[in-house]
Amino acid sequence: MPYAKPLPKINADNQPFWEGCRRRELRFQQCSACGHVRWPPSDRCPRCHSAQTDWLIAKGTGRVYTFAVYHIAYHPGFASDLPYTAAVVALREGPHLLTNIVDCPPEEVACDMPVEVVWEDVDDTVTLPKFRPL
Amino acid sequence: MLESGLCNYVLISYGHNAFSSDSMQQLLMDLSGDDAVFGHFGATGGYALAARRAMHEFGTGPETWKQIAVGQRKWANLNPAAMMHEKPMTEADYDKARWVVEPLRLPDNCLITDGGRAVIVTTLERARDLKQPPAVIMGMGQHHPSTPIAQSDWMAGPTGAKKAGETALAMAGITLDDVDACEIYDCFTYTVEITLQDYGFFEAGGGRDWLQGGTIEPGGRMPVNTSGGQLSEAYFMGLTPIAEGAMQIMGRCGKRQLGPETRTRSPEIIMVSDNGGILESHSCILLRRW
Repeated sequence: MPYAKPLPKINADNQPFWEGCRRRELRFQQCSACGHVRWPPSDRCPRCHSAQTDWLIAKGTGRVYTFAVYHIAYHPGFASDLPYTAAVVALREGPHLLTNIVDCPPEEVACDMPVEVVWEDVDDTVTLPKFRPL
Repeated sequence: MLESGLCNYVLISYGHNAFSSDSMQQLLMDLSGDDAVFGHFGATGGYALAARRAMHEFGTGPETWKQIAVGQRKWANLNPAAMMHEKPMTEADYDKARWVVEPLRLPDNCLITDGGRAVIVTTLERARDLKQPPAVIMGMGQHHPSTPIAQSDWMAGPTGAKKAGETALAMAGITLDDVDACEIYDCFTYTVEITLQDYGFFEAGGGRDWLQGGTIEPGGRMPVNTSGGQLSEAYFMGLTPIAEGAMQIMGRCGKRQLGPETRTRSPEIIMVSDNGGILESHSCILLRRW
């Protein structure tokens, strides 16, 4: 059955991130000048405005910064998942990533809960980073 | 523009057939970007993230938000133009309302409305001989943290309301003690709480006690969103609060008029807010009787 949910819109800025996900690597830009690790991708460091950038591979662990439990499906692709948990995960390296918490009932998710990345291959080219309790 | 003589009147208007079309939903879906990949959509999801973080940081929650939803509904019940005019809501109704995106229930969400509203701004000199008494802008402030909500570390405040409120009060030369009522941008109940908190009406987490006993309701000591607001009157973006603030100052609000009619102070000064994105931008205006 074809994948029924929205797919990421891949562009030149976020392509390294999504290619990393396909290889099960969580990649973020790191400013070569001040060391700030950022998300979403941008041409310049939002902290010091340097254009010198490297990509680092994050360890894939962090904590739930906050979360929201969906009880209605705004898109039909999510109807069979209800209720499901969208969350902002604060990664060890600093960036906040909008994602899902999986392998955990919504009522057991909590702010500051330690989590680790799990990978979901959704089609031949796209892999999504999701998180489960550590 | 008015003071330099470039124009004589500024019309600020808003109109939308948001209820009878799907254009508001489409607008919000389009704003979701790649968040939609993870089933995260629109405004309710974003404010649910913020509200959950606030529960974690300072212990707020539905017990606080319920008082806002129920209190504003009582104002709507006095307003024949309100979508919820003939629909009273008790605390028990709130408790049994369905979740939309937890921790937000249906009555924590603003309405979607067909209609519009407008205000006209002109000089005080021109306003002197108008048919209606003017509401005078005595102070204003803006502050826009403006990073997307997922990267924000101010979901639980201080939002832009803190600096915007301080700036407006300083320009007017008054303190919160001089404010008689508030018209707060209320896309969600939590937005009302965090705005009042950041303005300084109570300490972080103090909203639950501050709201007790009908503080914001008809007869209360600090009326808030006296038309019913976006939660219970109509959603016209920032025009809902500012138009109501001006109408109250002008004394044109009928059964919901602040003063003896609703056992509240006759309004000399009203504090009005506007808010954009997911707590990403904020404006504050102070209106006074002339």
